[in-house]
Amino acid sequence: MTTASSAGSTGVLDRPSSSGLADVLDTILDKGLVIDAFVRVAVVGIELVTIDARIVVASVDTYLKFAEAVNRLELAPREEQGLPGLAKGLSEGASKGKVKGAAAGALEAAGDKWREFTDPHDRHDRSARRNRDGDREE
Amino acid sequence: MIGMTGRPGETVTVTGRSDMATSTHTRTRGPIDDRTGACYIYGIVPADVEIVPGVTGIGESPAQVSLVIDGDIAALVSEIDVAGPIGRPADLIAHEELLNATAREVPVLPLRFGAVLSSPESVVTDLLAPNHDEFAAALASLEGRTQYVVHGRYLEDVLLREVLSENSEVARLREETRGRPEAETRSAMIQLGEIVGSAVEEKRAADTDAAVDALTPHCVAIMLRPAAHEHDAFRIAALVDTHQQADWDRAVESIAEGWQDRMTVRLLGPLAPYDFVSPEPTPAG
Repeated sequence: MTTASSAGSTGVLDRPSSSGLADVLDTILDKGLVIDAFVRVAVVGIELVTIDARIVVASVDTYLKFAEAVNRLELAPREEQGLPGLAKGLSEGASKGKVKGAAAGALEAAGDKWREFTDPHDRHDRSARRNRDGDREE
Repeated sequence: MIGMTGRPGETVTVTGRSDMATSTHTRTRGPIDDRTGACYIYGIVPADVEIVPGVTGIGESPAQVSLVIDGDIAALVSEIDVAGPIGRPADLIAHEELLNATAREVPVLPLRFGAVLSSPESVVTDLLAPNHDEFAAALASLEGRTQYVVHGRYLEDVLLREVLSENSEVARLREETRGRPEAETRSAMIQLGEIVGSAVEEKRAADTDAAVDALTPHCVAIMLRPAAHEHDAFRIAALVDTHQQADWDRAVESIAEGWQDRMTVRLLGPLAPYDFVSPEPTPAG
């Protein structure tokens, strides 16, 4: 069972033909040569729209998100035979699985999230996920 | 789809290099009016490139892209209206698409988005002339090389199940907090999340190392980008030489196949070598 979204032409590898906005932001606002700031500011008063798409990994918010995600795992079946490589350690202790369909749904959702990331940008991705999971809004 | 600045399908910015034989081709200095416009700069290229007619740049009514030449190097520029908005999604994408298309044909030093000077003359005096030799040397070293970015992102469920199965404290805290009111479990939840977070960081470090080891033989240089999302496994920028192309593609595909149950792997490129240029040129004067 392959869960990777494969928009590209090479099997499991996703190889988009052009960068999404998230990738663009990540690159051209953060990398590349910079003209000396004095020169630039002195010459034209253009205000750049800069968007910091990065997240702070080590934050309470992130921790809570991880914790909630771990606790949400019970919503998916613990019996995961249909999913290769999963739940090796889980299969003994906890396997009163629910429906298989839910597992498939969860993985599709992961794929969706992935695709969303290539779309507008990261924050949109995250809020979309929260909505989907019925989580609280921020 | 985010706006593509009205040039869907436009992939070529410059048409290779002109040898002496073709140097009769006119090099435009750009229709830039100093009084109303300013000069937006995309990147630095060798002076002997030729721009495909009709390629336009950023801005609400994008102007033609042209070259400002100084000696052996040139800047890719277009006129912008200083009164108009800049930094719209379409502008950002136009900047990147232009440079990526250029990088597929010739060496290019990409500038960060937002570099503007008052006139073509100031592009020469403030940017090209003070850095001429350094830029020329950098361009020479990039000959035949382009950048790729390999991005691995964990499948959330798989990632968390790995962590849960490998860490008994996570399993214990999960049992303790699951289904109980948020007010009672907040500190335990933070503790749980913190342990999961550091477990994910360890996985990220190990998987990044493994991916770098697999890719290093098939590229010229590697730069790591920091994780930008909590499910990021790795973000690796690599400079790949033309002769390495086939092996590079195979190596990335093999990573994607090997980890297909754990993560999605994306390959972006060829791109301009954003991660392989140093940020600050020498200021003028």
